Amino acid sequence: MFNFVLKRLAIAIPTILILIVLSFMLMFAAPGGPFNSERPLPPQVLANLEARYGLDQPYWKQMSDYVVNVVTRFDFGPSFQYRDRTVTDVIMQGFPVTLTYGFWSFVVAVIVGVSLGVVAAIKHNTWLDYVAVGISVGAQVLPNFVMAPILVLVFTLWLGWLPGGGWQGGQWQYLILPVIALSTSYMASIARITRSSMLEVLNAGFIRTARAKGLPTWRIILGHALKPAMLPVLSYLGPAFVLMITGSVVIDVYFSTGGIGQFFVNSAFSRDYAVIMGITILVGVLTILFNLVVDVLYAWIDPKIRY
Amino acid sequence: MTLKTLLKASSAFVLLSAAAANAQATHPETGETLAEVQTFTYRVLDEHSSVDPQVVEDVTGSDIVRDLFEGLMNQNAAGELVPGVATGFEMSEDGLNYTFTLRDNARWSNGDPVLASDFVYAWKRAVDPELASEYAWFMELMSIENAAAIIAGEMDKEELGVAAPDDSTFVVTLSQPLPYFAQMTTHSTTFPVHPATVEEFGSEWTRPENIVSNGAYVLREHVPQERLVRVRNENYWDNENTIIDEVTSLVINDVNQSLTRYLAGELDRTETPPGQFPRLAQEYPDQAVSIPRLCSYYYNFNLSEGGPEALQDVRVRQALSLAVNRDVIVNNVLASGQTAAYNFTPVRTADFELPDIPAASMSQEERNAMAVELITEAGYGIGGEPLSIELLYNTDEAHRNVAVAMSQMWQQTLGIQTTLANQEWQTFLQTRGNQNFEMARGAWCGDYNEASTFLDLVTTNSGYNDAKYSNAEVDQLMADAKTAEDPQPNYTRVEQIIAEEMPIIPIYHYADGYMFNPELKGWPVDNVEQNWYSRELYKVAGE
Amino acid sequence: MYPDKTTAAGLVDAAHLAEVQGRSLWKDARQRFMRNKAAVAGLVALVLITLFAFFGGFLAQWSTEEIDWPLMGNVAQAGGPSIANGHYFGVDELGRDLYARTVQGTRISLLVGFVGAAIAVIVGTLYGAIAGYFGGRTDGVMMRIVDILMAIPFMFVLILMLVIFGRSILMLFIGIGLISWLDMSRIARGQTLTLKNKEFVEAAIAIGVRPMTIILRHIVPNLLGLVIVYATLLVPTMIITESFISFLGLGVQEPATSLGALISAGAGQMQYGVIWQLAFPLFFFIVTLFAFFFVGDGLRDALDPKDR
Repeated sequence: MFNFVLKRLAIAIPTILILIVLSFMLMFAAPGGPFNSERPLPPQVLANLEARYGLDQPYWKQMSDYVVNVVTRFDFGPSFQYRDRTVTDVIMQGFPVTLTYGFWSFVVAVIVGVSLGVVAAIKHNTWLDYVAVGISVGAQVLPNFVMAPILVLVFTLWLGWLPGGGWQGGQWQYLILPVIALSTSYMASIARITRSSMLEVLNAGFIRTARAKGLPTWRIILGHALKPAMLPVLSYLGPAFVLMITGSVVIDVYFSTGGIGQFFVNSAFSRDYAVIMGITILVGVLTILFNLVVDVLYAWIDPKIRY
Repeated sequence: MTLKTLLKASSAFVLLSAAAANAQATHPETGETLAEVQTFTYRVLDEHSSVDPQVVEDVTGSDIVRDLFEGLMNQNAAGELVPGVATGFEMSEDGLNYTFTLRDNARWSNGDPVLASDFVYAWKRAVDPELASEYAWFMELMSIENAAAIIAGEMDKEELGVAAPDDSTFVVTLSQPLPYFAQMTTHSTTFPVHPATVEEFGSEWTRPENIVSNGAYVLREHVPQERLVRVRNENYWDNENTIIDEVTSLVINDVNQSLTRYLAGELDRTETPPGQFPRLAQEYPDQAVSIPRLCSYYYNFNLSEGGPEALQDVRVRQALSLAVNRDVIVNNVLASGQTAAYNFTPVRTADFELPDIPAASMSQEERNAMAVELITEAGYGIGGEPLSIELLYNTDEAHRNVAVAMSQMWQQTLGIQTTLANQEWQTFLQTRGNQNFEMARGAWCGDYNEASTFLDLVTTNSGYNDAKYSNAEVDQLMADAKTAEDPQPNYTRVEQIIAEEMPIIPIYHYADGYMFNPELKGWPVDNVEQNWYSRELYKVAGE
Repeated sequence: MYPDKTTAAGLVDAAHLAEVQGRSLWKDARQRFMRNKAAVAGLVALVLITLFAFFGGFLAQWSTEEIDWPLMGNVAQAGGPSIANGHYFGVDELGRDLYARTVQGTRISLLVGFVGAAIAVIVGTLYGAIAGYFGGRTDGVMMRIVDILMAIPFMFVLILMLVIFGRSILMLFIGIGLISWLDMSRIARGQTLTLKNKEFVEAAIAIGVRPMTIILRHIVPNLLGLVIVYATLLVPTMIITESFISFLGLGVQEPATSLGALISAGAGQMQYGVIWQLAFPLFFFIVTLFAFFFVGDGLRDALDPKDR
């Protein structure tokens, strides 16, 4: 197990490097630059700006300087777009926000999704099953950029119960709508996966044995069936995490939460190279870590798996 | 967490005490009963670039900077020049020297007096290549002595033509007379900064915990991409006459979402979504306001070497322009008070006189008939050589709608095919700047309230002349205008030439649709540059 | 982006069985599929929607680009669905016929889904089959590359690519397809590992058939069952991804449109009394996705020997 983790971490290093090189190449190929505007800057002003941010250096030098700064000093450089802040400031600002509503969305999605899936599996081929499947497929196909404005319309304008956006340091009123909008599609996926793997487990020999012993259903489910049925759900959580981060773009646009997604898209549009790189690397690292954690959990739950 | 809670608690306290003091208060001039809670919350499209006066480069940021800092001169609701930190100024006979007298009661938010040397420091900072301000060009445009050379790195910034003979006198030396120089001191780039604070904190001096400012408000809280809160500056010299206690700007990217939140009472001001203004104006006549602006929307023809051959023919350009039914675009597509444009400079520009442009007074049927005649004469259109044009614009719902409408008008009236090419902003700028287009969208907003800010664009050497139009007479007229006693006839003549040669198709002059809380008063609707100051706003008590 | 892993795991068994039992399984599977009402309904819906997307245009009285001038600027009052003026689904905010545009949008969304899935499946299958067949160091290197690529936040890279290289439908297809082949390659590899020890492969090697020919002639056809199911589940995720890209304003070029673009535009206008602008495209979007999900589930169950 220890060796496995080490090996995975060893792969992580070239992965991050490839990520950096790839994003750098994309950005250098990009037309436009961070200091273009409707009103082209006089060449001298532009030259001053480029010198200030080191953009007048050759590409390979910029890239190697960047890598050295990141590795040795954990310094991602200044943002081009927000002149009084560094990339670290931007990330420290946006990431906790994304993480907060992402975390709650996750909790909601897992709890509701698993419950729906389990109910559907137990009551297989009854109306409960059909309703649960209907809800989960419906939730999966309704884009969250349609859901978000509907939520605001209903809960803010018509009912007046909740604020239509903002963050205010993450007070609960501001959390609810983003969490609903973000969690539904995961919830749906989790429900579908849970249902099918639960069905499979319920047909397995050891469950039949347990039934034969006359154990009550809820004990069979909680004590025996749930753990093995969770394996496929676990492996879904890795990709779901990445989807959560990208999905935060929609949440940030509609609820003005100020998370990382909005920073990323804005930076891509305005060629804020430094912020793009910072966020890409951050998400890359987190993806690797998250997948690793999932794999370790997997091994822990399923004793058959040996690394 | 504790700091923020503390701040909130204290701001609540300030509000309460202010409310107590304001109970039954009336506006000093109009006598209206004021509301108890004086806060102003408005929507901004996007995060501002900075609140550093010398660094800020966007409208959103400038609006904030005008609240936090005060420059030499201010504008009143009509856009006229009124005293700011300076009580007034004197211009020398030759127009090359301006002497500003600073008021003695102007204070920084930490209590320090605002000195002439603070302005000297700030102005030198603006041209400093080390700071690399994107608005350094503005100082160059102000014709301050040596500004250009300093920006180019050929001279030390200490050589800039500004001086502070004593604490309350600020002297500027220009390299050439500039009739609208004083107007330009209302721009945020020229605002002072507190030297000791800038030196101490470097690029972090604009953080709420560090910033020292001299405007009517101080920065209380800033959460990037979410909100910025500013509260009354107790040390501001005219604090007594400031009514709004707290101003909050919320970043809301989606305009429909913003309208919903306005209607739910979360905002005092929002833009209206494209096309929704007429309905809102009907439903909420006391809230929907259309504010004209000094901006023009137009399409460039590519007249450079690489441009399509057909567009070099003036008749084709005329025909394309005539066939655009501006009334439909203004009234049906955009519909928030924009005005149809047949010339470049907005009519509201100070002292500008419109030439007589025949197309402006025709009916659309007449224009269409003339357009068909011209295009047939040129050998294109229905029955002629097929013509296909690519329209380039940057990704945006409103731009797309205008482009779609225009392409349909051309197809139906002239039988000309168009392809639409939208590009994301940065790519668009590059493509247009390199003349890789056939026709490209353009828009220009005046830097100051005078026609030359627009018409300089069509001179041969302008960096913003994307059409690459070149006409010696225009160049000469614009050069003469700089020193002319009355430049207006020159401007009028240039407009006439543009209307005849049609290097660009003017489409409309801007107006923005807004929703305003009916209790909010004092908005400078008539200020075409929309330089507004929160300290002039107030809320009246609701019935 | 990633169809769930159970699907993949189940698939391996299914396809494995497919190969062992030979032809009769396909017949079995068809019967099993036909017994699944939801799947059959989904299939019928899909056929109808495809017909709508490719032939619905013949019923339109307006083109996709033509502006109905009298309606423009008056859409909320006069632009609703109407048989009389030929706008069966009403008009969009500019006065263009929403029926014609929905037909076009459905067609483009389906194309994006199919082409994207096809790229993912073709690249993934070949890559996985090659890695699995050659094994050893080749396999190790190729699969490490997949591991590395999997850690890259591809949606971000896709946004970057679209922003940078400008949008075109082709770019979209390629971009989305390139994101999705990784899972497919893993599944295909695993399956190939078991296939390559089979007698028919060994026989082919013995008579000196070249490796690439073996992969194309003998391995890939045996991966077919797996590939079909995977593709069915991939198409809807492609369509969802496309809608997200359209939401960001990076989708297809005007005046062309996609369901995602129409929905995104309609969602912005929903509180302005023009709900048909959202309702019609959203209806087709949802029905299409529902249908694909049900057909995909049905196929998987049909090819899966474990009777659920």
